[in-house]
Amino acid sequence: VGKKVQAIYLWWHKPVINKELLQSLPNLKVIANSGVGMDHLDLKLVASFGVKMANAPHAVSSSTADTGMALLLASARRLVEVHNISISPSMEYCEADILGVKIAGATLGIIGMGSIGYKIALRAKAFEMNILYHNRTRRKAQEEQAVSATYCKKIDSLLQQADFVMVVVSLTPQTHKLIGKRELELMKPTATLINISRGAVVDQEALVAALQTGVIGAAALDVTSPEPLPRDHPLLKLKNIIITPHLGIKTDKASYMITEEAVENILAALNGLPLPSEVLPS
Amino acid sequence: MWYHKPAINEELLQSLPNLKVVASSGVGIDHLDLKLLSSYGVKVANTPFIVSTDTADLGMALLLASSRRLVEGHEMAVSPDTEYFPADWLGVQVSGATLGIVGMGAIGYKVAERAKAFEMKILYHNRNQRKKEEESAVGAVYCKKIDDLLQQSDFVLLAVNLTPQTHKLIGKRELELMKPTATLINISRGLVVDQDALVEALQNKVIKAAALDVTYPEPLPRDHPLLKLKNVIITPHIGSATKKTRWVMMEEMAESIEAGLAGLPIPREVL
Repeated sequence: VGKKVQAIYLWWHKPVINKELLQSLPNLKVIANSGVGMDHLDLKLVASFGVKMANAPHAVSSSTADTGMALLLASARRLVEVHNISISPSMEYCEADILGVKIAGATLGIIGMGSIGYKIALRAKAFEMNILYHNRTRRKAQEEQAVSATYCKKIDSLLQQADFVMVVVSLTPQTHKLIGKRELELMKPTATLINISRGAVVDQEALVAALQTGVIGAAALDVTSPEPLPRDHPLLKLKNIIITPHLGIKTDKASYMITEEAVENILAALNGLPLPSEVLPS
Repeated sequence: MWYHKPAINEELLQSLPNLKVVASSGVGIDHLDLKLLSSYGVKVANTPFIVSTDTADLGMALLLASSRRLVEGHEMAVSPDTEYFPADWLGVQVSGATLGIVGMGAIGYKVAERAKAFEMKILYHNRNQRKKEEESAVGAVYCKKIDDLLQQSDFVLLAVNLTPQTHKLIGKRELELMKPTATLINISRGLVVDQDALVEALQNKVIKAAALDVTYPEPLPRDHPLLKLKNVIITPHIGSATKKTRWVMMEEMAESIEAGLAGLPIPREVL
């Protein structure tokens, strides 16, 4: 059977691509990933077997941006907390416990202004938010103006001013633990951290400490390290946190589009044509 | 007057011969008998403009939370029983979907402005059609008949005020016109929806889900079926519940009262 396999469509990081598997599939030509992140793949290893790799960058941006905004709004307006109050048998609450934060006029700091980050900026602008961003490279002036975003060359400047910090980078050795104790301490004590990138971009232990001691106000995480977290993890016990099960691209439409992108790449590879979204080892 | 208390009736008005002004929090005045108050020479003021943005934000928050199954997802992520996240657990895409706004006043229009940024297709139904420039600015298409809006929308958002005409505006007939994959979001008043019909529609999968900031009564009795449905998000009437907005509302109400007591024109008077 191994000899017949020419393509793998990787759905949710499975199967695990290691040396053993690659050796057992001599005719494998392409691995297509369901999503944009490639941090779970050893790109050099795969390339050394002469296998091409592709991701699905276009299908993910809108639904992931939607997730970022959903988490921002849910956190600001305390949606999970107040829903639980609404359906609880006692429904006793103090007015102060249900007051949220006004989003219009608040400052959103976007770390990572790629296609997903930019779509978030487009959405946040409609909510009358003030937008700052930090990125490896600065965007063109027209792109900045279209979303009224201000570039922060130093991440510190963004962290100090933002009411909401949204992390939208890809996971690389440079972004590993990008947000640690130092960065959390630079943030306002009333600020919320939203992570829709990868769990490992945040120093999780530092985040727990920061939330427990009021160094930052709240967090909303679609991604953690690992997923799911062990059931006794301190993050699960905190009151000022929302955690979602990596649902960034998990919509009917996005799944369909991702699969279409993957199939396009697979067919191209099998026909010896250039891949629409090939990923090369850096 | 805060959250409809105290109840203003004939008894109360008779016992307060020197009452000059009632300042009501928020924009809705369906809980006030304006004719009765007027007959006692009492003036009324509300806080109509300051609530629009936060209420529109909440409408979008409910839309996003419902479509992406945020509350369910959080429960799964923190539940002691969770061992893994299922690969086939999906929500509904918001970007590119069709939003039908019923009631395109200040709040409805702000919802449209936000929804446009999500690449949503926007339909709206209103007593009057908006100006062309206002429609183009948000890419909204007018549906003279509410049926057209209900049949085409993936999300139906109610942003009308409560009047005798909008009482039970969304009933069995309207719910059956909606797509079985559609979600109803209510940020107006509980009585705009026929609640019993809504329960049935949700139980029988006539519509997919609902997200309600308002119910009738508030709060619902603890044994009410809406509290048990998995596809429902309920929030405790928090449309304007942000610290900043509540502060401004208080200031505005105090301002209206002071003007009323001084015999000056009352800001935000309701006639």
